[in-house]
Amino acid sequence: MTEGALAAIGLAVLQAAGMLALAPLLRGLIKKMKAALQTRQGPPLLQVYYDLAKWLRKEPVRSDTASWLYVAGPRMYFATSVAATTLVPVWMAAAPLEAAGGVLALVGILALGRFFLATAALDTGSPFGGMGASREMTIAALAEPALMLGLFTAALSAGSLNLGALVRGLLDRGATFHPSDILALAGLFIVVIAETGRVPVDNPATHLELTMIHEAMVLEYSGPDLALVEWASAVKELLYLTLLADLFAPIGLATSASPELILLAVPIWASKIFLLAVAVTLVESTNAKLRLFRVPDLMAVSLGLGFLALAIRFL
Amino acid sequence: MSNNLLVLSAAGMLVTAFLMVGQKALFTAIRLYGAQSWLLGVVAVTIALADDRPPLFVTAALTAGLKGLLIPWFLMRVVDRIGIRREIEPFLNVPASLLICLALTVVGYRVSTGFPEGARGVAHHVIGVGLSMLLIGLFLMVTRKKAVTQILALLTVENAVFLIALGITSGMPLVVELGISFDVLLAVLVLGILVHRIVDRFESMDVSRLSQLKG
Repeated sequence: MTEGALAAIGLAVLQAAGMLALAPLLRGLIKKMKAALQTRQGPPLLQVYYDLAKWLRKEPVRSDTASWLYVAGPRMYFATSVAATTLVPVWMAAAPLEAAGGVLALVGILALGRFFLATAALDTGSPFGGMGASREMTIAALAEPALMLGLFTAALSAGSLNLGALVRGLLDRGATFHPSDILALAGLFIVVIAETGRVPVDNPATHLELTMIHEAMVLEYSGPDLALVEWASAVKELLYLTLLADLFAPIGLATSASPELILLAVPIWASKIFLLAVAVTLVESTNAKLRLFRVPDLMAVSLGLGFLALAIRFL
Repeated sequence: MSNNLLVLSAAGMLVTAFLMVGQKALFTAIRLYGAQSWLLGVVAVTIALADDRPPLFVTAALTAGLKGLLIPWFLMRVVDRIGIRREIEPFLNVPASLLICLALTVVGYRVSTGFPEGARGVAHHVIGVGLSMLLIGLFLMVTRKKAVTQILALLTVENAVFLIALGITSGMPLVVELGISFDVLLAVLVLGILVHRIVDRFESMDVSRLSQLKG
């Protein structure tokens, strides 16, 4: 038993390290593809790594009025994002710490990180932090139920709320689609766009105060604190895309711990993430940012698609 | 494989219908209609390949060409020409519309089991999606103010009827399908001219103003 637990912890550390290492690359890739669509050259693919390295070397500048919450915010956000990666199957058809919890734990852990970041943003009392936090929570309140409905739809077809068991169930079922899968995918894709702060909802590239959501919340952070926030956001983005790939195209995940299967699973995973990144880039490049008061409408669509996906399962 | 593709495209059509209900940009709605028509073309091609029915290829080509390219282009041109505000103004707000469309979809799916073909397998989903889209299209028609959005709703209903026909029948004669396609094209042209006339008269595309025309 202890040996099994040790192996699980080892796997969890490896998987979290892999996700941490690769997440900035995804950000760089999306930036590069966006630039290519605008016939710009764009920043180098590794720019996000350079930025992170630069911020980590700098000294943090903190407001005099900031309390421990302000310092804890980025750390909790980072910790929860990394913890969430251990609950999701990435390369193997099993999550390293799947004994610790399933879909609900995943959503809860991500919500905890968001809660801490939003509270920390309120801490210094600057208007931007408060505005960003309130906007972020408004959207999160609508995105979270939609996320849960989408995950429940997949759980229903696989017969388990545990992500590892869920993915194994989907693999057993084979490549048969039900309309509810497509509806859930569309709903979850909108959630992913909203949660990662991508264009129709938020613009990751802007610092224009009236339009930003996530950026307004973390506007005051600098140095290592900022690096943690940005890194955690990148990990979360990679995590969401991996989740989409797991739930709707689990083919290629290694079903046992044999090295050959895992070596095969990594490039398949990478190509799935690449395809999703292309989709995200296309959505970002062909849509205008929605007005803030239109965003709830979009989230309502995703919630509606989630409900419908669940309802059609039973019809 | 072909079953998967059928379910995928049919469900994709339902998603486009829902996105149409949920957003207010006129151009996006027109593009969504184009995407929906392409998906309908994919459904037709898949059935043609699976059941070996060559005439359906012609239908699919017509669907993709006319409804996927020509009609969206024409509608965008109409909107461009008359220079209206490019935002859809529904009578009902988006969340309420979505809730109603949710209920309509459930009804459509439930009713589809009443068809002898609809009780099992893939046909159940194709007919279910078709009936749901039919109801959603009718709902869009009564809750949208602008003439162009009502045309879009009418075209959605037409797509839905086509999808149901593909699911239930073993195919209409080619002549009938050709006739329907050109009917749709003509209808859109006539409606386009009508929209121009409405805008000329009222300087707005809002059809609720037509009720002011009293003797």
